[in-house]
Amino acid sequence: MTTKRVLMIMSAALVAFVTACGGSSPTSNTPGTHPASSPAAPASVQSSTPPASSSASASSSSGGGGIPQNGGGDHDSDNNGGPSDGDGNV
Amino acid sequence: MRIHRSRAGIAGGMMAAGLATALTLTGCGASASHTSASNTGASQTSGAGQSSARHRDPAGFTWFRARPTPSGWHRASLADGQAVLSYPGSLHALTTDQGTVSEGLTTKSGTVLVYLNVTPKQGNETPSDWPDFRVGHLLDDDASAAKITGRATGLEFRGGNGSCVLDSYISKVHANHYREIACFVQGAHAASVIVAAAPAGDWGTYQGLLEEAVSAYAAS
Repeated sequence: MTTKRVLMIMSAALVAFVTACGGSSPTSNTPGTHPASSPAAPASVQSSTPPASSSASASSSSGGGGIPQNGGGDHDSDNNGGPSDGDGNV
Repeated sequence: MRIHRSRAGIAGGMMAAGLATALTLTGCGASASHTSASNTGASQTSGAGQSSARHRDPAGFTWFRARPTPSGWHRASLADGQAVLSYPGSLHALTTDQGTVSEGLTTKSGTVLVYLNVTPKQGNETPSDWPDFRVGHLLDDDASAAKITGRATGLEFRGGNGSCVLDSYISKVHANHYREIACFVQGAHAASVIVAAAPAGDWGTYQGLLEEAVSAYAAS
């Protein structure tokens, strides 16, 4: 009789444990997003200095192959896996 | 005997309840710990308590000292001279959006090793919300995950005042892992953004160059 009671209480306790912890799923560490920015004013032509030198032949330890430059979305490199530029819109 | 059995039953029940309580605390404690760790990451981008801390301790930006263009470096300006990027001669111009400047170092296969970009202010970013804005924008536009590792406000650039963020992110395309210094600099006449980035695996190699380029950035 006592053994049965103990088993029943332990079963109930187990159910309570699962119920109590089931709802605490891990939270995402993804920060919140921001609302879309206002449209950008037409950009003027840049006055950049000419290319200074040829590409380096250094090897990357990051692997992952080459990152295609430009040609996607608004032609940002970041649309193709490149680093993100500093625009606040696209 | 019946009393003894009853006491034994009560004792057994208390032991079971104690065990269950211990299990609950342990299990839930682990879960809460996980949540807390996650929230720590989130609070880096949106914690109200961070505000005062970031002013006292510009985490990750003790290296910053506004300085002139290093000897032998080149300069590239935004239209109307709104801002001037300084970069070493080993970098070359990258194709970029009209009205912006991008200089970088790439491998023959096109892998970006160093990326410097200057863009006039285009969104509704402000100095006070810049770190959160930047990471939020990364997640909206380019990144599947992003994490702030340092931030600073009130940095005195040449010709302006800036807010900066040090972060890392994974690109949505190809899942490339980058680290970057991104600063929003308000000059007397215009505001602009400078991004200095490198693959996370190459950060140690190019960190000094990137920091020098940011330190030499000039607004107007």
